[in-house]
Amino acid sequence: MKNSKIYEDFVLVLKRSKKIFILIHVLIIFLLLNFWKIQVLDHKKYWEQSEANRMREIVLPSQRGLIKDRWETILADNKASFKVSIIREDCEDYDKSCRKISRLLKIEEGVLKERIRKYESFPIFKPIVVKENLSFEEVAVIEARKLEFPELFLQAEPKRFYPFGSLAAHALGYIQELSEEEIKNGLYQQRRLGDLIGKTGVEKVYEATLVGTDGRALEIVDSVGRTKGEMAKRDPQKGQNLILTLDYALQEKAEELLEGREGAVVMMDPQTGEILALASYPTFDPNKFIDRFTPDEWLDLVSSLEFPLENRAIRGQYAPGSVFKLVVDLGALELGIVDEETTFTCKGEVEIYNEPFVCWVEKGHGEMSLIQGIRNSCNIYHYQVGKKMGIEEISRYAKMLRFGARTGIDLPGEKIGLVPDPQWKWEVRNERWQPGETISVSIGQGPLLVTPIQVALYTSIIANRGRKVTPHLLNSQSQIGNKIFAESNTVEIEPSTFETVIQGMWEVVNNGGTGWAANVKGFDICGKTGSTQLISTEKDEEKKEEKEEEEEEEIKTHSWFTGFAPRDNPKIVVTVLVEYGGMGGATAAPLSKQLFNLYRRKYD
Amino acid sequence: MIDRNLLRNTDWILIAVLLLNSILGVAFIYSSSHYLPGSYYVKQIFWIILSSIALFLFLSVDYGILVTYSFYLYIVFTGILGGLLFFGTRVAGAKSWVRFPFFSFQPSEVIKIMIILLLAHVFAKFRRDYVSVGKGFLGVTIISVPAFLVALQPDLGTAFSYIPILFAALVLAGLNRKAIVGILIFGLILGIFGWNFALKDYQKKRLTALISPGQDPLGSGYHILQSKIAIGSGGFLGKGFRKGTQSQLRFLPARHTDFIFSVIGEEFGFVGVVLIILSCSILLWRLFQSIGHSRDREGIYIIFMVAIMISFQFLINLMMIIGLFPIAGIPLPLYSYGGSSLLTTYLGISLVLNVKMRRFVNI
Repeated sequence: MKNSKIYEDFVLVLKRSKKIFILIHVLIIFLLLNFWKIQVLDHKKYWEQSEANRMREIVLPSQRGLIKDRWETILADNKASFKVSIIREDCEDYDKSCRKISRLLKIEEGVLKERIRKYESFPIFKPIVVKENLSFEEVAVIEARKLEFPELFLQAEPKRFYPFGSLAAHALGYIQELSEEEIKNGLYQQRRLGDLIGKTGVEKVYEATLVGTDGRALEIVDSVGRTKGEMAKRDPQKGQNLILTLDYALQEKAEELLEGREGAVVMMDPQTGEILALASYPTFDPNKFIDRFTPDEWLDLVSSLEFPLENRAIRGQYAPGSVFKLVVDLGALELGIVDEETTFTCKGEVEIYNEPFVCWVEKGHGEMSLIQGIRNSCNIYHYQVGKKMGIEEISRYAKMLRFGARTGIDLPGEKIGLVPDPQWKWEVRNERWQPGETISVSIGQGPLLVTPIQVALYTSIIANRGRKVTPHLLNSQSQIGNKIFAESNTVEIEPSTFETVIQGMWEVVNNGGTGWAANVKGFDICGKTGSTQLISTEKDEEKKEEKEEEEEEEIKTHSWFTGFAPRDNPKIVVTVLVEYGGMGGATAAPLSKQLFNLYRRKYD
Repeated sequence: MIDRNLLRNTDWILIAVLLLNSILGVAFIYSSSHYLPGSYYVKQIFWIILSSIALFLFLSVDYGILVTYSFYLYIVFTGILGGLLFFGTRVAGAKSWVRFPFFSFQPSEVIKIMIILLLAHVFAKFRRDYVSVGKGFLGVTIISVPAFLVALQPDLGTAFSYIPILFAALVLAGLNRKAIVGILIFGLILGIFGWNFALKDYQKKRLTALISPGQDPLGSGYHILQSKIAIGSGGFLGKGFRKGTQSQLRFLPARHTDFIFSVIGEEFGFVGVVLIILSCSILLWRLFQSIGHSRDREGIYIIFMVAIMISFQFLINLMMIIGLFPIAGIPLPLYSYGGSSLLTTYLGISLVLNVKMRRFVNI
């Protein structure tokens, strides 16, 4: 260095810069060693990974299995639908992309970004659905401007479609996007965010059967996501079809009859437990919300005061009213407390345990035997029998006849109802059982709660003279997972006891009893009406008040009818519940008649 | 105009090495982005021409004059940075661009030149063996103002890249042990504070991804892992020009900008890596070698800070793509696509040439 005198002395500074220069070269050598390790020593490992990388995995959505009724009418179908996804990695400028896409697809930009944000956890090369159920025009527009929008990925997808709209909606259920909680629960390990799953009904119970296996295609793709070739492909496997025991015509009729009311209908084959109709009203159209983006219709339904999503047939808990009297009769006969000859006199009112109890006929029924007591649904008769029997026995027989337990129907969320006894009262309410309550329970009132499906099963056990079945929707002929519903055990009640009670039920319908309105000539229907005074949950109270405000007239009773036919070798059980329907004989019985009628025309 | 003596004293080797590296950069930008809309390599050529013109124009002004007025230049650019925060539009999440009809650039890059000039101005007057506390803090203030404004854009990577320039000035001015300990403690406190209050979640993830990129291969470790796969799969000889499967097949993100070297590693293997690092090292060597060729302290400071500025970006970028440094958005000088970074590098080298060619004092 020629640092002559006229220049300053830079020795110190130059020394320092040299140190740094050396340091930088040490770092460069260190870097080269790292590259040596990655590129030469670990080359094989990275080479393999790169081979796996050059393919893009495309999910080929599978079709859900169809759901058909017993005559193979398709109740849940699939139709082709288009969805469009965004691949964030291909956005040149995310915000600009969003703005352009929002204009192209006519989604508000905020909404669009919200949708994408939901799947933020996805790696950026994975497509995120931004709009589905595209119209043909939309598909055409997207396809035409593909080069302009390399970040958009259009894909066809089979979509659930319920051809009859709301028909059997509660039994079928509906499908919706898997929620984040459901993923965390680990119940759906094969499924991912963005997948649609059965949320309730048959769709949920048989999810594993219905859902197909998604196919996978490993594609070689170019920079704008165009397929250049396929490395491997596994075709999607369609889900298995389900054949249900439902009968389209009966189901339709049941819903038609319930229209404008709130209530439930169960029609069931007592011999096998096959459900032919399971209706709940008000209802909903599941087509409206098979969508990844919760539409307003869905929120309206969820928040509606009439609870249209609630399946009243298996989840509605009601006092059984007079329908329950048969439990008392069966028990009393079996225990020898009464026999066919035993009579009580009904004067319209009776005082038991220093409390007045009334019959529904003010002037009384006069002298009543067991069969007459059933025919006229006499309260006084059953008060007396119930009093003699005691709450423990009543509750034991009620449970024997499958109240207070799940029937085992293949639907999710079934309620168990309530069969009260002193122990229950002590445990739950911390109060002593009042003898007067036994009297209320004898006619199906008090804390007693049952669901329509339980009543249908109970009717089936009577119709079968004691043989139990499991109600089910899946046709056993379709043999999925060898599900066996047959239950061979019988209740510990003599067949002759059943015959006596069935005689009473026959007279209810065919001999001027309370259920005369259900009579179908020549079909030998045996049944029982029920009318329940309402004093149950708060929810009901609220609803009741609203009802009362709406319609000035004071309808405070739920209307029940349950019956089977024919008397010998019974083939069909019909259970009808109409909320606020008034007397059982007045509303539920004539509805049942139409259902019996249709069944007979079709099957007999 | 320019004196013939000046032309004779121009370091043509440095210019040749500079152009060589730039042209190699264009080739790799082409390889990694030819299938993308936007013809990045054409734009890069345009930027090289523009930057070369700027380089020669910048040479015509004696650096002494630039240093004298450095404070005003610094103020003007800091003002632009401040204005951007109010009037700038967001591009890829940050307000860092000034737009012109045909091109746009980031003042946060170019301000580095102004910082270098101002620091040279401040530190050259300092003649003691070790830096004083007052000068140290003045230096910190000079880089803090623009760094703070850039961090608000937000562009932490660029804000962070001002620190080595200051560090260079401090090293030359002399750091004794006490000062080094002080800086370490200060850095540690800043780090802890930053981790808890300033860093966003995605930035923290980048730091944790550094330690274990395999933990979340499709998430925050994605870039690092994909980059390593690209480089590693290149092997010793590479897959060949335009044959990189990772970079061609979109698994590698930002392949023509910050991750351009991954493309080099994949397509040309270890051999290519060594050659390109060598080619860059020649440039660095030429820069460091120029330090002695200066007529005054200002010149020494300028050359050293430019050399450190370029070396720092070079080292950080290479460490970043193999997972030794968090992804901070620091481009590889002369290779990564991007006009502002290229222009800044050219202007920096222009300063070096400027100092060198005016090294003989006219008596």
